[in-house]
Amino acid sequence: MSYLDNFSNKTGMSTKSVESIITPGKIYPYVDNGEPMRGGMKDVYFAPDKSYVVAFYRDEQDYNTKERLRKIVTQYYDNFFNREHGDYYKELYCWPTDMVEANKKVGLIVPAYNKNFFFKKGYATSEGIKGKEKQGLWFASSKFRNKQFPLRLDESELGTWLSFFQVNVKIARGVKRLHAAGLAHSDLSYKNVLVDPVSRAATIIDIDGLVVPGLFPPDVIGTADFIAPEVLATKHLDLHDVNRKHANRTTDLHALAVMIYMYLLYRHPLKGGKVNDLDTEKDDLLSMGEKALFIEHPTDLSNRPKAGQLSKSALPWADVDKIPYTVTGPYLKKLFDEAFITGLHHPNLRPNADTWEQALLKTTDLMQPCSNKQCDQKWFVFDNTAAPKCPFCGTPVKGTVPVLDLYYQFRPTVWQPENHRLMVYNNQYLFQWHVNRHVIRNERLTAEQKVPVGYFTFHNGKWVLVNQKLTSLKDVTENKEIPVGTMVDITDGKKLLLSNEEGGRVVMVTMANNPQTPKQA
Amino acid sequence: MRRLPVYLLLDTSGSMTGEPIEAVKNGVQVMISSLRQNPQAIETAFISIISFDSTAKQLVPLTDLASFQMVDIKASGTTNLGEALKLVATCIDTEVAKTTPEQKGDWKPLVFIMTDGIPTDDWQIGLEEFKKRKTAFTVACAAGASADTNVLKQITENVVSLDTADSQSIAKFFTWVTASIGVTSTKVEDAGKEITGLSELPPPPSELNIVV
Repeated sequence: MSYLDNFSNKTGMSTKSVESIITPGKIYPYVDNGEPMRGGMKDVYFAPDKSYVVAFYRDEQDYNTKERLRKIVTQYYDNFFNREHGDYYKELYCWPTDMVEANKKVGLIVPAYNKNFFFKKGYATSEGIKGKEKQGLWFASSKFRNKQFPLRLDESELGTWLSFFQVNVKIARGVKRLHAAGLAHSDLSYKNVLVDPVSRAATIIDIDGLVVPGLFPPDVIGTADFIAPEVLATKHLDLHDVNRKHANRTTDLHALAVMIYMYLLYRHPLKGGKVNDLDTEKDDLLSMGEKALFIEHPTDLSNRPKAGQLSKSALPWADVDKIPYTVTGPYLKKLFDEAFITGLHHPNLRPNADTWEQALLKTTDLMQPCSNKQCDQKWFVFDNTAAPKCPFCGTPVKGTVPVLDLYYQFRPTVWQPENHRLMVYNNQYLFQWHVNRHVIRNERLTAEQKVPVGYFTFHNGKWVLVNQKLTSLKDVTENKEIPVGTMVDITDGKKLLLSNEEGGRVVMVTMANNPQTPKQA
Repeated sequence: MRRLPVYLLLDTSGSMTGEPIEAVKNGVQVMISSLRQNPQAIETAFISIISFDSTAKQLVPLTDLASFQMVDIKASGTTNLGEALKLVATCIDTEVAKTTPEQKGDWKPLVFIMTDGIPTDDWQIGLEEFKKRKTAFTVACAAGASADTNVLKQITENVVSLDTADSQSIAKFFTWVTASIGVTSTKVEDAGKEITGLSELPPPPSELNIVV
């Protein structure tokens, strides 16, 4: 039995307490000043030391919901966190740890967000949002990074373009783990993911809406902008109609794709110029639902944003001609096509979270630092052309750039391309996951696997790879071993065997942006 | 793209003199600064202030949150609510973009009315005009005992009343308006990139020293 002994206290600041219904006797004090933070469904109170919050549902919850919440704080909590890599996942979610009840109202105990998810500075020109939560929308909209906009974020809050790849990797990993457990979040959106480009972190919040297998799904439709087209197109049907589409794994995958697109391009992939109905509400429903169309569809151009209708403060990102989605590189372009063209109205064709994670990571191997110190993005995906330049500030790439294509042994003496390429820049590191195809770059990497095995540097007018840890590195072109502590020249056409162990790769070098021998990389 | 227009119709008649009018001014300021902490609201909400006493005036045209600047208001004269309703109808016609085959229009406006008295003009003519416009919702607030909720109920079914027109009650009203705008801007659209144009550029420096 659990209840609040002093729940009936009227106004004024008072510390109350509430008991766990999972672990009888476990008491959670909280501060009630009469004005809790009010969420959509819950009233939120802080612990006296602010280490956790107690979030009470305003309405009485049914048996089904309580069972769902109970599973989330017990069985799933243990599965996620009380095992190997559990600590890693703790950073990806703000997961409720316990469940309480008082006066027939259930509540959840949720850990406080990490410090990095609160603005240190906030706006560039005022203190308006200093100390406020870094809700994802601050970073998904181009306005807040436009230098002409009075309420823009301070540069110190924005991170670089590379930061957002890492942020997206965290989100994709969080979603991947949920889906691996058979769960769906059901309301993924920039409201429910806190983002910090400075520490390159992201954390998924509002976990209590999880769709748990075997139990009825929560009665939510999601957040506008992220609701899958099929859910919007059938929302007029009765909740129990068999044709009504509910939140599930594939609707999460739509939301995930939208989020990744928005955090890289700061615009919405479906909000373009096409008018589907003269009634604003109907138009919105159709444009995001039944008639949803990718704004950058390669052949159907009818939803491309109209240049004259773009807000100045949304530029340059709102202009798909100036910054097309192809700036995100070939791996992500393919996935955006799958998510917003083939899979937009075919949920089963949407790329899964693991595919997004791998494509994001592989894309970071294609990135180059911009040589323009004033460049806002600082990093860009090498565009593979004869005259490469930063797509954001237009600064041309100076000097040669080695391109390393990775090959694996298909059968003895036959090597096949991995469709994985590493663009070299000065002081870039080489890692185990480049060397051996059995080492996958994901959250399961050991501490040892995260240590670089070598690095590339431009030394005395030429590119070299310095071998730090590779015990069987071999220059195949020159048929020469490259011992640890020595270096090898990186020249056009050179082949290097990175490891002779099972799964070891060969890399082939192409020199891009080479003025002597102009050549498409 | 799509804007969420918000019209605030504020009673500035003589009976508002003193604490009530100060509370209204303060309420608008607090509302704007708290909406400026809400990214959804910054994306979509555009605010206009219409005052009504012996005449109705649009003090602030529909303006985005970033560039909104409150003007000074003084309380005097009678309570021409009807004229205010007529004026907001005209403003909706001219300021709220309709969806056309070429361009996505704005969301339907939210209208908040606050008054502490009884209309002194022929308010039903104004109401007739106002009723011809579509709004997402209209809320009327009767501040203090002299306000006539029966009149307000004919304008909208959403009528709230404050027992007194003191600063605390009025502040609460604005807190609630703020929350309504916040919630609505989240619900309608989360990442509209509305046209804000030149008005949001910082003002030019007042003095230029250019050596030629």
